[in-house]
Amino acid sequence: MTAVRKTKEKILIVDDSEMNRSILADMLADEFDVAEAEDGEAALEILGKSADEFSLVLLDIVMPKKDGFEVLAEMNRTRLIEDLPVIMVSAETASAQIERAYELGATDFIMRPFDASIVHRRVLNTIFLYAKQRNLIGIIEAQINEKEQNSSLMVDILSHIVEFRNGESGLHILHVRTITELLLRKVMRKTDRYPFTDADISVISMASALHDIGKIGIDDKILNKPGRLTDEEFAIMKTHSMIGAKMLEGLAAHRTHPLVRHAYQICRWHHERWDGRGYPDGLKGDEIPVSAQIVALADVYDALTSERVYKPPFSPEAAKEMIFAGKCGAFDPFLLECFEEEFERIREALSRNASEQAAQREIRNYAEAVRHTGGTAGASERTLKLLDYERMKYNFYAELTEEIQFEYLVSENILKLSSWGAKKLGVEQEISDPANDRRLQEQLGKDWFRDLEKVFAGASPENPEFRRECELAIGGELRWYSVIMRAFWTDGAVPAIESAIGKLVDVHDTHIAMNELKEKSIRDPLTGLLNREGAGEELPAKLANYPAHKYAVAVFDIDLFKRANDTYGHLFGDKVLCEVSERLVHSTRVHDLCARIGGDEFLIVFEYDADIHPIIARVFKALCGPVGEFDLTVSMGVAEMTRAGQSFRSLFKKADEALYAAKNGGRAGYRFYGESKE
Amino acid sequence: MTIQECYKALGGDYDEVIGRLRSERLVQKFVLKFPADGSYELLLRSLEEGNAPEAFRAAHTIKGMCQNLGFTTLGASSSALTEKLRGGKLAGYEALLSAVKEDYARTVAAIKDFEANL
Repeated sequence: MTAVRKTKEKILIVDDSEMNRSILADMLADEFDVAEAEDGEAALEILGKSADEFSLVLLDIVMPKKDGFEVLAEMNRTRLIEDLPVIMVSAETASAQIERAYELGATDFIMRPFDASIVHRRVLNTIFLYAKQRNLIGIIEAQINEKEQNSSLMVDILSHIVEFRNGESGLHILHVRTITELLLRKVMRKTDRYPFTDADISVISMASALHDIGKIGIDDKILNKPGRLTDEEFAIMKTHSMIGAKMLEGLAAHRTHPLVRHAYQICRWHHERWDGRGYPDGLKGDEIPVSAQIVALADVYDALTSERVYKPPFSPEAAKEMIFAGKCGAFDPFLLECFEEEFERIREALSRNASEQAAQREIRNYAEAVRHTGGTAGASERTLKLLDYERMKYNFYAELTEEIQFEYLVSENILKLSSWGAKKLGVEQEISDPANDRRLQEQLGKDWFRDLEKVFAGASPENPEFRRECELAIGGELRWYSVIMRAFWTDGAVPAIESAIGKLVDVHDTHIAMNELKEKSIRDPLTGLLNREGAGEELPAKLANYPAHKYAVAVFDIDLFKRANDTYGHLFGDKVLCEVSERLVHSTRVHDLCARIGGDEFLIVFEYDADIHPIIARVFKALCGPVGEFDLTVSMGVAEMTRAGQSFRSLFKKADEALYAAKNGGRAGYRFYGESKE
Repeated sequence: MTIQECYKALGGDYDEVIGRLRSERLVQKFVLKFPADGSYELLLRSLEEGNAPEAFRAAHTIKGMCQNLGFTTLGASSSALTEKLRGGKLAGYEALLSAVKEDYARTVAAIKDFEANL
């Protein structure tokens, strides 16, 4: 609901003159999405289909088919005018006309000829004003919804207590409720005999969960008797409908509440029969409230298709046949017709897994509960649809992006996950005490929560967002994830983190690509050796092992390389460089570090324990030798740590000096720093 | 011929319209569209057929466009005709109509002229 609308606001321009429409459209097209209608009828058709998409209507008055006033009147009839602002744009200057437009709910009036900046400003103002209002309504609705959900929760708890005592599956209540709702909606679509609103449907479905609460007053022994009940026991069993009704009647303070009123009827009469042979009152036909009739059918159908201690489950088709054959009660033929037509949907709804159903019901409740209170809060269906739409949109994107989104409430110590996230992690959507949740530890590592707390410590009210990358084995595969979080702080003198939202994004591929890039940046593309930067990065760590190991730095270049290049061409030059690097890699050991630090200049860092001289002699020998027609030799200078100091800079400088000496000594040789000759 | 000259020729107020629409490109675009708008033909046809409401709407649309585009002259005559036709009576409008016809012809001619020299 708080999801930010990233799409442009959409404006409907209604004017019969194409030119007038396009002038307005041109003024607004940069910042808004614009749709056009050429008369009132077309406008109403568009609004009828997709009013939710629009944030504003610009409406001309004088138009063919239906004029602007008729459009306003219709928007009043459908109460759309309460949610969708309308700015009149007209050449009409008579104050009576303007007056009438305002009376019909227009928000503003722009006189033709209009000024681009005024149109712009007024459109923006109106949209902002309404957006604010919508947000306020959203907040109120969320509060109402919370209350309503609590009562839904109470109903669920109550009814499950009964079920538990009955030894029935936990799904019976849910199923009865689902079937009741589907049938009620079907009935409403097929006839206007029953004046139910959407709110009524929601309340009746909720009340259906209470149909058997009277069983609380029935002795366990009878209730859970595996075999057939005796006549006497059955007579006692039959009292449960009246007991339930009496319990509800006893709620003096709430007797008039719609939920209690419907629940009363359902409890008392869900065992009546259309033919008048049911109990407790023997009501017949339409004497039985339709809510009780529907719950009776739902109850019978779900009982037949469920397993019970005394019977296996029947298939949906078999259950349907038994009901139609009148073997399990007697029902209104019209209701059976609805059942027949809704059968596939009922079957499908019940076979869906229970948790999914619960989640969906929660969303539906959300909308319906508010709709139910819509009269008092003035929250119209359209606003609800908008909220629902936002929610669906949010979920849709959340699914698409494949992110594990979460919310952590510090004081409640509860972690909430997006449905995709929960699925991915294989955990519930709501986890209390997440730090000690075994499944989470399996997925995120044993110390994930402590790590998280460390990250928390880095955030402050001024800097509430943080992000870091880590490797996690979610779903058994070790991959890189980016954790992006935002903390929310209390207002107190010493702010504390109250909650945090965030997401885990799989950044494995990007991470790998980045690493590869980084790897590339420190390597010489031709020879694959480290380049100068790479050597500079890796060396300090290496030299830190001193004095456990001794080190020497050798610098060499290829004698007369320029001549080889000039004589045989650059391709050949490249070949020589590659050959040298290959000889270098083969003649050195893994601990040694080799780099091409410029043109034909190479660097080796040797790690050795005893004497460097034989090592240098071997490597030197390996490097020299003809490449094609080019008789390759190198000149090399070597500086040992024991003589040239411990910093890389000084080692390198001294090795370079030795190289210079070697060159002066006639090339194709090597010199040690501090020694006169090789 | 510049757009300013075109406005002069058709009896419009270019400074006023550019002050409102802020963009010469837009003004030019809509001015060039004006001759293609069917409202004028609709006005004539409706009057011929004696369809008063339709004639009123057509005149009203012309007036609205003129106001938007700053076509002062045609705007004034079409406005007068609009008021005459309001209320659904088709009587005594002939003089006003011929003024509109004259102004419309002048307006369209100026625009065509302007378009030809673009």
